[in-house]
Order: sequence, then structure tokens, then C-alpha cells
Amino acid sequence: MKEDRRQFTVQLAVIGTGMAGFAAAVFALNRNIVTALTGNTGALAYTTGYLDLLGWPDGAASSIKDPWQALDELRKASAHHPLVRISADDIRRAFAEFAAFLGEHGIAYTVPGERNVTALTPAGTVKPTFCVPATMAAGPKALAAKRPCAIVDFEGLMGFSAREFVANIGDRWPGLAARRISFPDAGRGEIYPEVMARSLELAVTREKLAAALKAAAGDAEVIGLPAILGMHRPDHVLAEMQRLTGLDLFEIPTMPPSVPGVRLRELFEQALPGRGVTLIPQRKVAALRFDEAGATLDLSDNFGPIRILAQAVILATGRFLSGGLEARPAAIREPLLDLPVTQPAGRGDWYRERYTDARGHPIHRAGIETDAAFRPLGRDGRAYDDRLHAAGVILAHQDWIRSRSGAGIAIASAYRAVQEVERTLSRGRG
Amino acid sequence: MTSAQDAAFPETEVLIIGGGVTGTGIMRDLALRGIRSILIDRHDLCAGASGGNHGLLHSGARYVSTDPHSARECMEENELLKRLAPQCIEDTGGLFVAVAGDAPDFAGQFAGLCERAGIPCEEIAVGQARRLEPALSDKLFKAYRVPDAAIDPFRLALENVNHSRALAGSVYHPHVEILGFDMAGGEIRAAHCRDNRSGRLLAIHARQFVNAGGAWAMNIARLAGCDDVRLLYSKGTLLVSNDRIARHVVNRLRPPDDGDILVPGGTVSLLGTTSTRVDDLDNIGPTAAEVDRNIREGAAMIPALAGARYIRAFSRVRPLLQGGGTAEDRAVSRGFALSDHLSQGLANFCTITGGKLTTFRRMAESASDLVARRLGNHRPGTTASVPLPDDETSRWTEPGAAPRRWVRAGDAGDTILCECEMVSRSAVNQIVEHAPEIGEEMSIEAIAMRSRAGKGTCQGSFCGIRICSHLYDTGHYRDATGLAHLRDFLDERFKGQRSILWGQQAAQMELAEALHCGLLGLDSLEQDG
Amino acid sequence: MQETSPAGISFKDKALELLPEGANFESCLSCGLCASGCPAAGIENMDPRKFIRLALLGMDAELAATPWVWCCTECKRCQHVCPMSIDVAELVHFARGLWPEDRKPDGIVRSCQLAQANDSTSAMGMPPADMVDVVDEVLQEVRATQPAFKHLRAPMNKRGARFFVNQNSREPMSEPEEMVPLWKILDLVGADWTYSSKGWAAENFCMFSGNEDAWREVIAKRVEAVNELGCEVWLNTECGHSYYTMWQGVRRFGLDAHFRLEHLMTYYAQWIREGKLPVNADWNTRGIKFTVQDPCMIVRKAYGDSIAEDMRFVVRSLVGEENFIDMQPNRSANYCCGGGGGFLQAGMTAQRRTYGKRKFDQIAATGAAYVLTPCHNCHSQIQDIGRFYGGHYGVVHFWTLICLSLGILGKNERLYLGPDLRALLD
Repeated sequence: MKEDRRQFTVQLAVIGTGMAGFAAAVFALNRNIVTALTGNTGALAYTTGYLDLLGWPDGAASSIKDPWQALDELRKASAHHPLVRISADDIRRAFAEFAAFLGEHGIAYTVPGERNVTALTPAGTVKPTFCVPATMAAGPKALAAKRPCAIVDFEGLMGFSAREFVANIGDRWPGLAARRISFPDAGRGEIYPEVMARSLELAVTREKLAAALKAAAGDAEVIGLPAILGMHRPDHVLAEMQRLTGLDLFEIPTMPPSVPGVRLRELFEQALPGRGVTLIPQRKVAALRFDEAGATLDLSDNFGPIRILAQAVILATGRFLSGGLEARPAAIREPLLDLPVTQPAGRGDWYRERYTDARGHPIHRAGIETDAAFRPLGRDGRAYDDRLHAAGVILAHQDWIRSRSGAGIAIASAYRAVQEVERTLSRGRG
Repeated sequence: MTSAQDAAFPETEVLIIGGGVTGTGIMRDLALRGIRSILIDRHDLCAGASGGNHGLLHSGARYVSTDPHSARECMEENELLKRLAPQCIEDTGGLFVAVAGDAPDFAGQFAGLCERAGIPCEEIAVGQARRLEPALSDKLFKAYRVPDAAIDPFRLALENVNHSRALAGSVYHPHVEILGFDMAGGEIRAAHCRDNRSGRLLAIHARQFVNAGGAWAMNIARLAGCDDVRLLYSKGTLLVSNDRIARHVVNRLRPPDDGDILVPGGTVSLLGTTSTRVDDLDNIGPTAAEVDRNIREGAAMIPALAGARYIRAFSRVRPLLQGGGTAEDRAVSRGFALSDHLSQGLANFCTITGGKLTTFRRMAESASDLVARRLGNHRPGTTASVPLPDDETSRWTEPGAAPRRWVRAGDAGDTILCECEMVSRSAVNQIVEHAPEIGEEMSIEAIAMRSRAGKGTCQGSFCGIRICSHLYDTGHYRDATGLAHLRDFLDERFKGQRSILWGQQAAQMELAEALHCGLLGLDSLEQDG
Repeated sequence: MQETSPAGISFKDKALELLPEGANFESCLSCGLCASGCPAAGIENMDPRKFIRLALLGMDAELAATPWVWCCTECKRCQHVCPMSIDVAELVHFARGLWPEDRKPDGIVRSCQLAQANDSTSAMGMPPADMVDVVDEVLQEVRATQPAFKHLRAPMNKRGARFFVNQNSREPMSEPEEMVPLWKILDLVGADWTYSSKGWAAENFCMFSGNEDAWREVIAKRVEAVNELGCEVWLNTECGHSYYTMWQGVRRFGLDAHFRLEHLMTYYAQWIREGKLPVNADWNTRGIKFTVQDPCMIVRKAYGDSIAEDMRFVVRSLVGEENFIDMQPNRSANYCCGGGGGFLQAGMTAQRRTYGKRKFDQIAATGAAYVLTPCHNCHSQIQDIGRFYGGHYGVVHFWTLICLSLGILGKNERLYLGPDLRALLD
């Protein structure tokens, strides 16, 4: 059987379809850079929808209220943290541009501002984050105002318990009620948030759910729900549900498999190709090499081999979950280019004794080194190639989990990497 | 703890200290003679070496070269347990295999040694061995079949406890730690204990006191002023693979050494062990070097072990009887010893220690004989003839039992809480209902001990959350305790993961941590969110 | 304790053999994205995650017995959303093969047997001679009744033709006039094409039956037929799995195919771009709304999004940009309709409609009056669930709409048009 290799020639190839990869593609698109985006599915589908910037300082006992001030302090404490290598102005611009893009495509976000938001978690704890989707925005406000509120959960929905939420947040939120209802037309057995969200894209489901919510609300003015308010048009679904119930509604993110991450993934997978980005998702790049003409990426999909030729590359392959780093028994490796990885001395030092140790585990600070232009360093300590940049949590000297800074690192470093790519490309033209 | 306020609790005929297979075996042995007892454990059932081993029902062949006496005991108990407690045993059969590099002399003597110890042993052709067990190395040069099997110590312990409760009204109390003894007139009058959950102190009065503390037996004996229990501590490290790699128990045909036994544990395989002398009993964790050594040695028999996905590694301390000389730990007797402490001036205290999982019944019988005699009870022990009742409520520790039952029941409404091992709501509800002694203190960890929940690929990272939510839904948790229990459960699971977090497990852990800490904030529960 | 590994079958071993390293279920994180995104989740108390977990737990007897394998359409959406890219469908396929023939769903087995009955490879058992006759009859009728097409051709067994064109048996067997729009299109663009009396049929239920030998036999005959006629391109028409079964079959069984495998949709797009099919949306004066169903078999399971983009280009050209509304999700993330994988033929009507509810909701959310799809199973299933759940949409073939746009749709070629579209024509 005859098989042809498909070939795409672009200015920029972004490797990685997580938050950093997609953000890089968005920034490149906005700068009219011809872009191809590929790489493993990554962890995007697991995200909560919250866009963190910096939520917990190292080893501190309380969360960060003012991330800008915390960043200033971080600048004094560490010269290597990816966020301190990006100016506050660039971080602000990156968030604003990224959130605007999401808003234009159906998932509005709160305006990135001066303070962190005290966001809600499904366990009834709170977490500091920077921007929240519009569908979740009423929750933190209702908490702050201690408005009369009912948390509603659903028969058959696992891992989200209104009683658990209320039991844990009750001290901060007096009078909070827990209610359980059945989702309209749900059968017996487990029901997934994704199924509920898609079903709420239909007016008929919204009407039935609104009736059930009104009945369950009691004296509440606000209702909190697991994140199920639509998949493709959450803003529209929220508005419709509020209109139908006459109540304020908000979503609370849930454990995987959850809706907010799938929303983002589907948004990107439609919006980017729709605006000209070549997207080859769910594929691992097998080889990347640079020569005088540019970069060559080889990969394959169901259909056969694919080659991407690019003038510049952004490596946004993430960490262990997405395959950007590999933890081998002997050492941590960067598998695509075998870039040197800064890491603890041995496997015995990767993790602390206690899992939930607030100081975090040393393995999370492992990663690749870059120069000021976010170019990964090779074995010789110099940029691996002038046309290669890196973004996201693959970067060393940060612990995105403990510091609640994953999206911040992804978005801000993608912004910087694309800035540098723009420079590289203009040099190439000049 | 409500049951602790029960007036009957502090007084009993016999107090047994230590909820391993031996302690629970004594509890049952006594109950069969009509003697009521209280069993306490500082943690929960099988928290020590009973729960931290291969789950291997030895044929004894492993010991034919180093300890023929123990080998013969093993074989006798092996046959007996297969008959009396088949629900706890998977009769996998065992193989002994020699690979290139192993001493041909040892392999040559093996059959003769087995014969002398009364262990059926059949040499099979290398080709046949590899057909029976396709994962075996192609460097195999000799293979024997022996009647090894896999045994579930958790189910044994649970069924011992349940049977004792039914027979004699004996009671088990977890999380009760022994602090000291009241002694007078050559007797112990009471044991001073602390309920580690509530912090409450209590005194338990009994006529007889049995120390079945396993590796801690020496420390417990010393609390009673007895210096006649002398143990060596041998730390063993084992690994659990994500799936079952071999059908049979596979032993390396050489003198006992590191990484030479692979035992199926239902849906997983257990590889081990290493053996290191330690002095400290607490804070024992696997090291990277021990893990790597097990894998390297195991891979010589079964090459797939080199690239397998491991989901846990754990270490436990084996109590070995201290003899004379400076023999290597593996050469130290695997026999057991019963001390009546008469030489220490106590007439109602005994300590049973040493031994191994396979011979637990015999250990329990010898201790119970002494206790019964001292109580003036002359009924003979019957554990060698009375089958262990197959207890419906203890079935959830069996790998594969939950999914099989769930599929058969076909009830969509009985939603799954632990997806990896397919433990459903009804299973969890049954576990909560049928552990009366735990009552209000039932925790996610206690449920996990009584089932397969949290033992699969995700190691509790998803099911911990789902079980926690379920316990809030059922009203078991009403305040922040549930989240603290969730955190404690995950911290506990982590101890067994810490040294094997490479490859896929690093990815799994990253996802888990993002969820538990990044989202739920379990790393900052007591702090200001 | 029960023995956990019954001798004979092992899904785990099979998975190790079939699935590529790194995408094996050994790497499953147990996160549930697969089940959450699967329309078959919950049917027969099974879902992709449970299926993988049971395989990993060695519950081979349970897996071999679950009727869910006939409700899973092997659409591979679970793999698409899996961060570890685990291929559950391949294991489902294996499980199907384990069923004794006499216990497999009758409809699938019979369709496979009929395909093996003669050289046509038709699941409806239509013999080669009948195909020749039907094509000839219909052709004569068109020539006689449609003056514009009095020279229309439908070549049969033409050696050296560029395109070897296949046909789903439903047309020649049940609605032969539905072939005519395709002939007109091929005629209009001046394609050098032929039907073949051997191996002309598109569908292949042997694949769905899990019978590898039979799958191979059917595809080998088709490959032989194309090789014999010396055609450059085997052109798959508007049938979804026919592409997958041929393309995958040639690869899987290492068949010696001296031709390229291509899909009519890419040619529709090409011919429109080249101006050979001068379609436009001017006819759609009432702004009738259309959506498109991406068949799993050609989009997610084969070409990927590129053919989905072609399809959208064609639809937009035909109905007008503003009259096209995409379903959500779509392209490679689209849901299977529930007609695939032999589900339509499996006789499990209630389960199939439960599966199809998600598709119905997706379509309902678009508010479209018509669903366009280049797949017969999609077509039938979407019609059925529309009727069952009280929908008000129609389902049309691309060829119908192309001819409609070009003003060359004959009077008896309007089977699938609703009154609104007929009204525009009359």
C-alpha cells in the first residue's frame, strides 16, 4: 500500500498540548506567527479551570493574598524561579491576553487583578488562585459575604459530596446547607460530570434542572454546584440557569474526570485550527533535530508519518504526567533531546518522608535550565540551539504544586518564549 | 471509642497483645476451648510482619538447606491450612528454578533435601517449566515443582477475630497500645494501655497475659521486667507489581538470598526480599538500594521484572530468635519459641515469638496450650481439625473478589468507589457495619485494611477521595475529621510508594499530588487557606 | 480463593501483544476520562475503565462473557481522550473474537457469512451478476428519463480505470436510485472510474464479528479485485467503516495492494476547490440549517482532523457558512452515533438507543434541520434515534446535497429530503 509522509512547513512548532503549549499557540497566533502545535494530550484535561499565579510561598503558614508582592519577595529569595525571570508587566500582559482569548471563545474569566481569589475546592477547603472562570466566580464572593447558600450534589456523582463540603467549610460559612438531587433523566448508577455538562447544553435539560434546583434551594439565594454547567458554552448555560432559577449559581471544580479541563481542551482544539494553527494533538514527537535550514520534527499519527519543518521550536512538554520529563530508576531525563536536567542527587532524595509535607518534594524542583531568553541549556551550559525555547512546568527551580503556580508559570513563560521566537524570526527575515 | 466504655472491656480471662496472625490465632484457639479473650493492637490487624510479607504459604522447600526442622513444620502446616482455610489460600503451586550462574551443586542436592523433610518435590523439564510460566528466563537450567501456595494474612486475621467473637464473645480493640503492667505476687494484675485514637488511658484486668507482639515482643516483655526474650531484627523489603507477573510462586533454586521469591497476590505479584540487620524497630522504610537489588536479582529469574511497573515497596521487621554464634540472618532459625517467663518470676504471662506466617497456627496452639493449662482448662486445641469459617464479611481482602462479585450482581446502583480494585459502596458499607469494635473510629485506612481499596494502580489517590465523600454522605463523618483521615490515609499509602516512584508511578504521583495538595490543600489543612 | 487466571485466554497477555509499549493498559492512571467520555459507559454495567481494570485484574472470564463488547462500537474515543493513549477498542475486538459464533449477535454473523458467500463481498449477499444487472437497469432508466444524462456512464469492470469505486450494498439492494447522484458527480468531474463485479461492496461485518480470518478473507478479495483491474485508486464512497476495514485490513494482514486507498470526501473538497463541482449555497434561500456527523471510522480512527476539515469545507460550500452549525464536541473528539461497530445489526435495540441519546442531544443542541454524514451506519442510526427521541431532523448523503446544489437531482433521488428541501426544488 502506498503511503505518503505528510509535511507541514511553519514558522513555529510548539511541542506540548498542555496549558503552556496552548498558551504559546495563542500568543503566536495573536502575533501572526504561522504555528503548528503537537504533542501528547498531557494533563490539560485534569485542570480545575482555575488559573493560579502564585498561591503559597515556600514553607509559609498562610496563603498569598497579593501575588505581586509575593513575586517581589520571591525575586529577592531566588534568582532561578521561572516567574522571577519574567517581569511583572509581562506576566500581567500574558494573563490578560490569555484570559481574553478564552473569553472570546466562550469561557469568560474574571479579570486578572491585584489580589488572589479565595477559591473553593470540592472538599470544602479553599485555595488561593488568580483568575477563575465566570461560572465559578460567584462562589468566592458568596463565601466572602456569607450569603445564604445551598450546596447541591447529585445521586450517582462520585467524589463530590455536598455534606463533605459543608462539613469542612461550615466554620467560615454559617448556615450553609447541603442538598442532594437527581440529575434530570439520569439512570441508576454512576453519572459523570462530563455527561451532565453536555446534557445542560440542551434547553430541555436546563429547564428540568432549574426546577429541581428551585425546589432544593429553600431559603438560599445562591446555589453551589459541581462543575457541570455546560461544556461548549458554559457562560451561556450559567446565564440561562440563573435566569430560569432566579438564583445566583456557581460551580465548584471536581476531581477527575471533570469538566473544566475538558472544556479548555475542546476550546483550544477548535479555536486554534479554526484560526489557522496546524494542530496535531495526542501525538508524541519522536524526534527533533536542528540544522541550518531549521528544525525538523518527526512524528506519526494513526494515518502514518508526519514531518513538521519550523524556524523555531517551543518545548512545552510538561513534566512526568505529560512525558516532558521521565523519572527513570537511576535519574530524571528529558527524553526528546536529552537535555541536562537539574535534579536531586539520587532517587532516595526525590521525595520527603511525608507525602503531604508542606515544604514539597525535591523532585518537583527538578527540570531543565534556560538562559534569560528561555532557551534550554545543553550539556555545555550554553543554549542548546538559538531557535529552541522552553515554557511551562518543565522548567527547573519551581514547585508548581505546593506554590499553586502551575498556570502562572505556563502562561507567563509561554508569553516570554513567544516574545523570543518573534525576535528570532525577525532576525531570520532581516 | 464507645466500646471502650463498656464495663466488660477492662476485664477478661486473657489479654492478648498484638493483632498479627499469631495473636489472632491465639484468640481463636482459646475461643475454641471456650476461653474469652481481649486482643489489642497498637495499630490495626496485621500492621507488622504479618501484613508485610510475601503472603507465601511455604511448602518448606525454601528452608531445606538451612533449617530442615522448620521446613518439615511448614510442609505439615501447609497441608493443614489448605484443608482448613481454603478461602484464604490460592493453591498456585510453586517452582524452584536455577538460572545460569547459580550453583549446580545446590540444585543437584535439592530434591534429596526435600525428600528428607517430607516435601513433595518433582523435577520438571526446563521446557515444561517455561510453558507453565512463560515469564521465566531462557537461561533456566533446572526446575522443580513444590506445593507452595499464596495465602492472605489479612483474611486469616479477620476471620480468626470474627470466629472468636462468635465462639466466645472475644473482643478485638485496635489502636490500643500497651504502656506497662501492674505486677504483684508473681503475677500481672492489669495492663496499662492507651487508646491512641482518643488518648484515653485504661487498665485491662485479666487472668492471663499473652505477648504476641512479633518484632515488638522483646520490648513488651521488658515492660513486664522479663529479659528472657531475645530477638534479632531483620528488615525485609518487598515490592508489589501493578499486575500479576507469574501464576506460580517462583523461587530461585539457590541458598536463600535477596530477591529470590516472587509470589502471586491475586492480581499483583510480590517480589522480595532483602534482609538487613537493624536495631531500630520504627521508621523502617525501603531504600532505593534495596528496591533495586530485589529487582536486579528477581530479573535473573524473570526478566520482565526489570521493566515492570511497581506500585508499592514496603519493609517490615522479621523477629528472629537469637541463638549463639554470628550466623547470617537468613541462616538463623525460622523456628518459634514460647517463653513461659517462670524464670522471670511471672506465672501468668507468656511470650510467643519468632516463626513465620506459614506456622502461625502451630505457634498459636503452643501458646494457647500453656494459657489454657494455667487457667485449668484441659480441653485440647482443635485448630488442627476445625475449619476456619468462610466469613462473608471478610471476603473483601481477596484480590479480585470485589470485581467478580460486582460483575455478577450487575447492580448499577451499587456504584464503585475504588475503581482500580472495583470496590463498591455496598462492600464499604458492609465493612463499616461488620467491624463493631471499630465503631465510630472507622477510618479510610481501616476500610483499606479490610478490603482491596487503595491497593491498586492509583494507590488510593482517587478512591481515597471517593470513599471519604461516601463516608460524609452516609453521615459517618460530620466535621473536618474526614479530611484529616484522608490525609493520614494518603500519607500512610505514600510510605509504600516513596521508593518506587519512577516511570508511570511518577506520573501517577504527580497527578495525585496536584489533586490532593494543589486543589484540595491536604498539605495545609491546619493552616490558613 | 478462586483461580484468577483461567487457562486459555488472557486479556493482559493479549494486550501486551497487541498494544504498543507505553500505550498499554499497564500505564492506565485509572482517572476515568475514558469512561466519562464514552456513550457506552454504563450500558450492561460496563465502561472502558472497568474493562481495562478487569483486564488488569485478570478477570478474563468476566470480560469474555460481557455483552458490552457488542455495545462498544470500537469508536476509539476513549483512546483519543486518554492521556496515556490506551487502546481499549483493540481489546474489545479481541473479546468479540472469543465469543462462540453461535452466541455472537445473529445479524453480525449472518452479514459476515453473506459477505463470504460470493465474490461481491456484500453483507447483503448480492451476487456479482445482480450488481451488474442493477447498475445497468438503473443506468438505462436514468438515460431514458433524464435527458440531461442520456449519456451518463456507470462503467463496470473497466480495466485500468483510475478509480475503483465501491458501493454500500444498501443502494443496489434497497434503494438503487440513490447511486445515481454519485454517478452524476463522477460524470461531471470527468472521473475515469469503474465499478467491479468482484469485491465492489463496501461494508464488512466480519471485522465487527471479531473474526480475523473472515475479515482478512473479505479484504483480500477486494484487494485482489482492485489489483486485477489495475486501478490506481480504490475510492471509498459514502460509507464509514468500509474505509477503515480496508485500510486497516491491508496493514494488519500485510496484503499486497498495488493502489492507493482514498476517500471520496477528499475528492469532493478537491473538485469543489478546482471548480469541477461548481456548488454554491444560493439554493438555500430559507436558511435551512445543517450539521455534520464525523464518522469515527474515517476521522478519529483513520485520517484524523484533516478529512473533518474537508468535510466542513464541503458542507459550508453546499449550505452556506451561516447555515452550518457544528456539533459539540466534533471532529476527532466527536461521539460515535451508536450505529457503528455492528451495533445496528446486533439486535440490541434498547442499548443502542441508550447509546445514541448523546448523539441525539448533540444534534438537538445544534437546532439543525439536517445531519449530513458520509456513512451509512451513522445515517441509519441518526434517523432511528431521531424518530425514537422525537427529533425533527433529516439525514442526507453528501451526494444528494451536491446534486441538489448543482440542480441535477432527479425526482426519484430525493428519498431523504424533507418537505422543506423538496419545496425548494419544486
